[in-house]
Amino acid sequence: MAAEVVIDARALEPPEPLLRTMEALEHLDSDSTLVVLLPREPYPLYRALAVNGFGWQTECRPDGSVEVRIRRQST
Amino acid sequence: MQALLSFEQAPPLSAPLRFFLSAPLFAVLAGLLLLWSGPELFASRWTPAALALTHLISAGFMLQVMIGALFQILPVVAGANLARPRLVAKLVHSTTVLGTLLLAAGFLGRPPLAFELAVFFLAGGLALFVVAAGRALYGVPSTSPTIRGLKLALFGLAVTVLIGALLAATIGGWLALPVVKMTSVHFGWGFVGWGVVLLAAVALVVVPMFQMTPPYPPWFSRHFCRATPIVLSVWSIAEMADHQASLAWLSGAVVLVAVAFAGATLSLQRRSKRARFDATQRLWCVAMLCVLAACLLWLLAAVLPGLAEWPQWPLLFGVLILSGGFMSVMIGMLYKIVPFLIWLHLQNLGGGRVMAPNMNKVIAGQRIDRQTLAHFASLALLLAASAWPEWFTYPAGIALLMANAWLLLNLLAAVAFYRQQRSKIEALRPAMVSG
Repeated sequence: MAAEVVIDARALEPPEPLLRTMEALEHLDSDSTLVVLLPREPYPLYRALAVNGFGWQTECRPDGSVEVRIRRQST
Repeated sequence: MQALLSFEQAPPLSAPLRFFLSAPLFAVLAGLLLLWSGPELFASRWTPAALALTHLISAGFMLQVMIGALFQILPVVAGANLARPRLVAKLVHSTTVLGTLLLAAGFLGRPPLAFELAVFFLAGGLALFVVAAGRALYGVPSTSPTIRGLKLALFGLAVTVLIGALLAATIGGWLALPVVKMTSVHFGWGFVGWGVVLLAAVALVVVPMFQMTPPYPPWFSRHFCRATPIVLSVWSIAEMADHQASLAWLSGAVVLVAVAFAGATLSLQRRSKRARFDATQRLWCVAMLCVLAACLLWLLAAVLPGLAEWPQWPLLFGVLILSGGFMSVMIGMLYKIVPFLIWLHLQNLGGGRVMAPNMNKVIAGQRIDRQTLAHFASLALLLAASAWPEWFTYPAGIALLMANAWLLLNLLAAVAFYRQQRSKIEALRPAMVSG
């Protein structure tokens, strides 16, 4: 069953959000989604995702925070 | 933990670091200049030594930190990658360093042609930076107030350089423009149109991020960076046209811009989730209080003729803004940006197999705290020297020199930490490959 793992990193000091996200990705199943809540668009994370073969979708929320949904890209 | 950056994408560590390591050297030179020229430097803001000192801090210390930080901030905050960052950084760094040294020498009246060469190198280097950063930002949608603010700050830098070049051509005798008015406009665009707008654009991200505060209020983040260049443009026109009736109000509006930024930032800091302020927070707090004090001084000089006639007040104002405001904020930023950069590059070198050490270990907290105190001592002595030059000029010179030599040592300690950790990772590499 497709599962969702949520990390709320809105109140964490850098580089904690990046660290926690990358650690969670280590254990992400191919049919699961990692949802990360952040206070702003994480450009360095996007690069790291591209390098490691993940796909993502970003949604901006009205309060200025963003929700990034990450999945393994099928090869 | 996986790789964080591909090697093609990573902005090289040397690009911002070369600027950061040069910045304290200019402030050390400013300290030496104080010792060399003595109390005469503070006779007025127009003495050759005072002009050289102002530019060693503004075009030296401040500009180096601001440009170095932009090499890092543009890709991270705006997703705007500068093309060929290593080459652009080398060219912009060498020309601005040389240009600033020649500018200081030019103000001191030696050697011949120093002034002309200074303008050539500084304007050339900065024009290259404006074009490179402008190209990187071109096409990046202004999805956040910070991205819009970065674009407007870059516009402010371009205007400052243009007016500076016109001013230099006037002093050199090629043009006949009003020097005093042009100096005010150059000062306004340099410190407010470029300095404050850049600082505010970056603060929108880094104050909540590193100081654990709520975000800036929407009225501030939406309108501040946009309104500032408009106010400055109207003020510049009134200044050049000598429109006295509106000038007092418009100058007041420019001062109000700085008050709004300092007030909004102090109000956020009061709501920080941290129980005890760290060095960066203390530096930002002192900086904002100095900006408010400078604005109050300006206001009092506008309404009290006795104060306006006191020749030392513009010097006191200048020290509050330069050493108290900009230098304090920038030292605070360096203590966050440099450890973060080194951590990021070590993490990347480890390739996901070796974890980078904790960011707080890059520069020891005690070293940061002590250097921060040294900076505050130099600020206090500089303020005293601008009011009573005959008593405090030499202690202020020594304090400025020592505080910035210490800052350089702290930054070099961070570089040494990086090299040491990199050697460890490289020693482990064969084992990583076979494992």
